[in-house]
Amino acid sequence: MYNNKTTAFKLGLLILLALLLGACAAPSYGPMVEDRSVQARPSERISATSSNTPVKVTDTPAASAPAITPKPQSDVPPTATITITAQPISKPIIAPPINQAAAAPLVQDKVQEKVQEKVKAPTLPASKQAVVEQLLADADQLKAQGKETQAVIQLQRAQRIAPRDPKVYARLAALQLSLGEAARAEQLALKGLTLVPNKKTYQYYFWKLIGASRSHLGDSEGEAKAIVESAKYK
Amino acid sequence: MSKQRVRNKVTSNSSLGWISWIWIFKLTTVLLVLGVVALIYIDAQIRHRFEGHRWSLPAKVYARPLELFTGQQLAQGQLKFELTQLGYRWVTQAKAPGQVQKTNQGMIIYSRGFRFVGGDEQGHLVEVNLVGDKIVGLRQTSGASIAVLRLEPQLVGGIYPAHNEDRELIQLDDLPNGFIETLLAVEDRQYYAHYGVSPWGIMRAMWANIRAGAVVQGGSTLTQQLVKNFYLTDQQTLWRKLIEAPMALLLNIHYSKDEVLEVYLNEVFAGQSGKRAIHGFGLASRFYFGQPVSELKLHQVALLVGLVKGPSYYNPRRHPKRATNRRNLVLSVLAQQGLISETQKTNYQALPLDLTEAKQVSRYPAYMDLVRQQLKQHYQASSLSSHGLRIFTSLDPWVQQQADKAMLEQVGKLKQRYSNIEGLQGAAVVSHRDSGELLALVGDYNGGYAGHNWALDESRQVGSLLKPIVHLAALETGRYSPNSIIDDAPIALPQPDGSLWQPQNYDRKSHGKVPMYETLVKSYNQANVRLGLDVGVDKVLQQLQRMGVEQSIPAYPSVLLGAVEMSPLQVNQVYQTIASNGFYSPLSIVRQVTEANGRLLSNFPFAVRQVASNESIYMLQHEMRLVASQGTAKGVYRYLPKQQKVAAKTGTTNDQKDSWFAGFSGLHVATVWLGREDAKPTPLTGAGGALNVWGQLMQNLAYAHDEDIKPQTVAHYYLNRATGEAIPDKCPNGVWLPMLKTSAPSFNASCGY
Repeated sequence: MYNNKTTAFKLGLLILLALLLGACAAPSYGPMVEDRSVQARPSERISATSSNTPVKVTDTPAASAPAITPKPQSDVPPTATITITAQPISKPIIAPPINQAAAAPLVQDKVQEKVQEKVKAPTLPASKQAVVEQLLADADQLKAQGKETQAVIQLQRAQRIAPRDPKVYARLAALQLSLGEAARAEQLALKGLTLVPNKKTYQYYFWKLIGASRSHLGDSEGEAKAIVESAKYK
Repeated sequence: MSKQRVRNKVTSNSSLGWISWIWIFKLTTVLLVLGVVALIYIDAQIRHRFEGHRWSLPAKVYARPLELFTGQQLAQGQLKFELTQLGYRWVTQAKAPGQVQKTNQGMIIYSRGFRFVGGDEQGHLVEVNLVGDKIVGLRQTSGASIAVLRLEPQLVGGIYPAHNEDRELIQLDDLPNGFIETLLAVEDRQYYAHYGVSPWGIMRAMWANIRAGAVVQGGSTLTQQLVKNFYLTDQQTLWRKLIEAPMALLLNIHYSKDEVLEVYLNEVFAGQSGKRAIHGFGLASRFYFGQPVSELKLHQVALLVGLVKGPSYYNPRRHPKRATNRRNLVLSVLAQQGLISETQKTNYQALPLDLTEAKQVSRYPAYMDLVRQQLKQHYQASSLSSHGLRIFTSLDPWVQQQADKAMLEQVGKLKQRYSNIEGLQGAAVVSHRDSGELLALVGDYNGGYAGHNWALDESRQVGSLLKPIVHLAALETGRYSPNSIIDDAPIALPQPDGSLWQPQNYDRKSHGKVPMYETLVKSYNQANVRLGLDVGVDKVLQQLQRMGVEQSIPAYPSVLLGAVEMSPLQVNQVYQTIASNGFYSPLSIVRQVTEANGRLLSNFPFAVRQVASNESIYMLQHEMRLVASQGTAKGVYRYLPKQQKVAAKTGTTNDQKDSWFAGFSGLHVATVWLGREDAKPTPLTGAGGALNVWGQLMQNLAYAHDEDIKPQTVAHYYLNRATGEAIPDKCPNGVWLPMLKTSAPSFNASCGY
């Protein structure tokens, strides 16, 4: 009885010891182990920025307004019909003969603008135009697949390549508005507006977009102003 | 208890044999139990580690990819630089990815392709035609059209965990032909036949070593090597020795040979770069050859495989001779085993090592500071250093290199010219004009040094760099035009403490009544203070804050002359807003973050906010262009061709403690600051110091200018400088200035003289 007890005790002790030994050795197994799995809990471990979680808006008045449908084949002028426009001139144009006297500054100004209207040139060289067109088409395709963020990325790429092309801003603004980012859309449209001082169709389009954005933001006064502005270019 | 045991032993002396048998039995049982427990435990460990998250992978930081398209204006030598940095090899005929071939009209590039956000870019074989440094033609050699080609982005850094272990994961499929054969020929010939351990292998290795007269083969199998590196520590303990073989056996039972081999390829230690440990053949290939492993030729493969035996002893950069011998030995083993012919062996052995220059862990410390800063706001530190995230930045390696170079060279020249500018430091910031993306950041005059970041962490008074903001605020009131007449007479203002503040012009003279544009062109202090006071110091500060300066600034009149401390990065933010036509967009660094598998986590979208009217900005830009063409900044044309449009401003603070230059040209906005570390006076003005760095930098960047777009409400008038009246354009000494049509000047047909 006494012997059995000690044997059992010793055996138990040894097994315990063995287990302890095993446990002691454990740290040496995994000094480099990181048990986090990216795939398993991305939202928990890797906090994404708010900017990457676009708000989908489907039933805003803005999104349903025909003027801001960002499809390439739609009848919206900026994406379809406008290709040839006047190139703005920054260099002063040496204008009228001096003896046309007092009205000169005004005339000068008019001449300048006449010349501006006459100088017809595409917004971009043909080759750059092709790149931009392709990127815009890619963006449209991505958006159609429901990949809005990816579409935004393609448009940003186009913006870097052709930062003065109003088409890019038109598309970016419309996309942001359809994502519910009305404040961002409004500002992009305002930026687009600065690129098209002599292009009525674009001006009309951008003002419509600004109006829709402001309406979305609840800025009725601003919206009214935008409507008045857009009417000027209709 | 112990007494009892002693007595027990003594009394049972007679029955010794019987008792010892019991003890042997007991011991065996215990050992068996122990063994089983240990095996179960080891088995669990093996599977857990092998099937789980195997390695903590540092985040990879990428530069912007270079986009190639017809009409793209590059800087001189930029394309070549870019390809070299990406490890492209110049060959007589480009036949494989990563190769480039010179042609009469330009080059033929076989691009590698890359998994971008939003879609894979395939590798393409394209012909690029260049005239000067402009791409005039881009087409696939197959004849198919291609509008734009994105080269893969350069990997410019990583965010490392504490243990500094770095690797680039590869799969068996990524290996070039002959890689596995070479590895097995040297390390484990019977790999596909043994059970994880191989007694025969040990014997054969010994025999091979004796025959070769050197240690060419190791005795342990690849599986054992993997167990050693992957599961066990480096310490030579008995426990380790005991379990290595059973672990290898277990590993062999659970997983296929290919699976084990793939882990081995990624685990193997292949060298050390500073604190960073290079693991796996994927990263080793980048580290030594600057190429992906798939592109390696057999002599390079032989070197990598040879390195496994002792990466520091055979370090090919430090001991090229040793490494060459080792490589050639590996090639001999291949020939001995009939894997290559004797001729092939001789040919390969004659080839150079083909190493790239060693690159620093982070070649862009200043820029990386900012990347880390921005990411910390969105991600946990552990996510960044262990999940293998991919960080896509807007860093432009070419611009960064030119900025570093201009800073180092010009500061060197200044130090030579002036004996009394010990501790001269410098910082530079370059951004893309219309997107607000940060392209380069120089945080120390010696760009590679990672210490105090002078572009981010140092704020100094900005001096005359603030004058354009005074002008902008004035133009925004609608009461001022570039031709408005301002009085430059001396001015004295009582201070809160009763003393008088009497700012003076740099030349200590007064210039009477001058048109507003000239107060900027010549940087007159007295006139600008008067202008700012009329507009209101608070209005000027509000304008500044709308342009991205967040700190609160007390509204003292001295602010009008730049008694405001700002970092070079902040200054660039303000000038960026002017350059992008009055639209503020925060300078951005990170474009996207994705998981290792390409899944998009964050996109940092382009956003703008209009903070000044189009008209005011148009007129201000015109004034700033005059500063460069005829004013304090005209020294830039020592570096740039006359037809290049520059809008800029110099800045010099009291006692010439700080030398500033900020402005924009073509596609780039840049700010340069020079000053002493201890903020003591220097012999430098803005034009004498920072201007030179700015000029040299811009000289080496691609220049393409989009025409300025004049707002409808603005017209250009030819004006009499003294009176501000419009005059006939045949009059001498007039000046063309943009003005609001609503405040059109009166016309004087007699020139006004």
